[in-house]
Amino acid sequence: MTNLVAVDNKSHLNTKVDLSKVEQHGADLQLVPVVLSEFINLAVQYPIVLTKNGNTGQFVFSVMLGFEPCENLFWQQEQWQGLYVPLQIRRQPFFIAPSNQQENDNRHNNELTVCLNTESPSLSNDTGEALFDVCGQESKYFHEVKELLSQLLIGEKENNLLLKSLTLMDLIQPMSLDITFVNQSTTKLTGLYTIDQDKLGSLSNEQLITLHEMGLLPSIYTMIASLGQVHALIDLKNKRLN
Amino acid sequence: MSKPIKTVVVVGGGIAGWLTAGRLAAKHKAKDPNGVKVILVESPNIPIIGVGEGTWPTMRSTLIALGISETDFIRECEVSFKQGAKFAKWVDGSEDDFYYHPLVLPQGFGKGDLAAHWLAKENGASSTSFSNDVCFQEAICELGLAPKTIRTPEYADVANYAYHLDSVKFVAFLQKHCSNALGVIHILDNVTDINTCENGDIAAVVTLEQGDIEGDLFVDCTGFSSLLLGKHYQVPFKSCSDVLFVDTALTVQVPYENEHDDIASHTISTGQEAGWIWDIGLQHRRGVGYAYSSKYSSEEEARAVLAKYVGDKFASLTIRKIPIVSGHREKFWQNNCVAVGLSAGFLEPLEASALVLVELSAQMISEQLPQSRDIMDIVAKRFNETFFYRWEKIIDFLKLHYILSKRTDNAFWTDNRHSKSIPESLKESMALWQYRAPTDIDFASNNEVFPAASYQYVLYGMGFKSDYSQTAYALDDIDFAQRHFAQNKKITEKAISTLPKNRELINKVIEFGFNRI
Repeated sequence: MTNLVAVDNKSHLNTKVDLSKVEQHGADLQLVPVVLSEFINLAVQYPIVLTKNGNTGQFVFSVMLGFEPCENLFWQQEQWQGLYVPLQIRRQPFFIAPSNQQENDNRHNNELTVCLNTESPSLSNDTGEALFDVCGQESKYFHEVKELLSQLLIGEKENNLLLKSLTLMDLIQPMSLDITFVNQSTTKLTGLYTIDQDKLGSLSNEQLITLHEMGLLPSIYTMIASLGQVHALIDLKNKRLN
Repeated sequence: MSKPIKTVVVVGGGIAGWLTAGRLAAKHKAKDPNGVKVILVESPNIPIIGVGEGTWPTMRSTLIALGISETDFIRECEVSFKQGAKFAKWVDGSEDDFYYHPLVLPQGFGKGDLAAHWLAKENGASSTSFSNDVCFQEAICELGLAPKTIRTPEYADVANYAYHLDSVKFVAFLQKHCSNALGVIHILDNVTDINTCENGDIAAVVTLEQGDIEGDLFVDCTGFSSLLLGKHYQVPFKSCSDVLFVDTALTVQVPYENEHDDIASHTISTGQEAGWIWDIGLQHRRGVGYAYSSKYSSEEEARAVLAKYVGDKFASLTIRKIPIVSGHREKFWQNNCVAVGLSAGFLEPLEASALVLVELSAQMISEQLPQSRDIMDIVAKRFNETFFYRWEKIIDFLKLHYILSKRTDNAFWTDNRHSKSIPESLKESMALWQYRAPTDIDFASNNEVFPAASYQYVLYGMGFKSDYSQTAYALDDIDFAQRHFAQNKKITEKAISTLPKNRELINKVIEFGFNRI
């Protein structure tokens, strides 16, 4: 359940966020959208893939956390057992939305507001990090939350840049995984896409220089390298099955 | 080597002209100085006929061959998805009389005889609709669902599909693409005369403003006037009006009540007193037309039938009358001239055969374009054999829809079942199908147009019974039948739960576009 309200220091003066419960938001996610700036951190544990948004059909960078809908193999004993937790999870229960434009002021048209999901299990009035101090000043914690949100906003732009180049140079290919687990059960994963390494290898010098100048090459190679983590993921699944 | 083929001149700028010019230009590198030069001459004064608004799934491979993006095509030509045809009131004319000719093959087709089990109503055949028991497409069409999702790559499908399109916009779209991207040279001028060589070949078409336009091969896409093949070469026309009685169409463009109205994802063809009405849903309007026989209905009566079908809006709509002279030229390729489109022939649009014949012709001409004049007659002979066969087969298949009807409300229907109006080739097939279902062995040529599955859908959709009592052992593979009937139910349920509405998908294509992969 999601119910977003704008954060302000009157209604939320006493609101606290229990950090130990924030990661619950990812407990049953098989795929989590990610941004370029966190690729390096993610690749240490998760396969970074492309999937298609069900509503728009457009590509989304995601980390794969399981092999079936609602399966997050990193969620164990009510905790996220990973070295790095994606921004999309850590920013919970906060979102960014366009400001309400009740006042007819054009200057405010492009302004964004930080919102809070009032249905989040991490909210509390007693325990956790406060958003404001007693005087209504933003806490260090809330400041960090805003940093995360702005990292996601910038990340969105960088993602689009990479996606546009990958599409233009025809570097995306579908990826099909046929996996047999330790108990002999099998699964066939479709709807996943990755970098076409043959095409990447046959790019012209000109194209390569373009990718280099745009600073996109590290992300592309990080995506490729991260695919090895599929084996680690299978391993996690096998352990769960045993 | 004799004279090389370096320049092809296409005369006529309708869909036939542009599709042929485009396929030739794409395959033979018209943009390259070493490629074949493709010129399209079009009269600025002659409007296009534009009756072809329904395609076959083949249009997908045609557009791919032309290097066209499906998203652009859908956005610019008012395109919607078509998953076959629903034939209403063809069997007895009652309100609940309908059957489907879908584009997805029956389950297990070619691996076993599911039709036999369906006819016996055994081993899992459950409904009275053949197509519903063996194929999931009738169910999704009845719910107005699209054949794919926004996540499906362009030109790929969940259920096989073709298109409905606005032919005027399609011509403009093809013209732009073929001229800009493929290097077709576009000349707007009136052809006034034809210059010939000693051997009877066309040397040039003479135009009013730009003089002689010379070429090595001429493609006649001049529509009904058949300027080169018909008028110049006097190749006789082979009428089939003794088989197919429809000779006139009245057409109207019907606006939607509001812009969010559902779009049917199939052609609706409804039997009427003296013919049938087509109903094709595009993005911005429906195209509706009454194809009828003037021997069995006056124009006034026909207008009344169409008015009743369209409803209140009819009074405000512009009606166009189009003659349908059923038949085709005895030859399509004569000397160095080949006809494509209406100049080659025309049939009532019952199974959308017009555009598919254009595509098949354009494909064969571009794939088999002779390198030099001395081998052209061989290619011409093969082309003529191939397309004569195809026209005859299409005529048979169209006639099949009429001979299975049980309607008695008008002599149009009863006369259609007279033995003398039925081609011998169709009678032979019907004789065989008394005892078994149509299969691929009945359609063994490389040049088949309609597959055996299409015949099954029409035959059993219209209540025809093949009598298997002599060969009851055909029902021995119970496991095969049970598996495939069950499989069809499963696929149907999955399709219903995952596919969006036709209009919804089209709106998403307009907003986001399909990905290429």
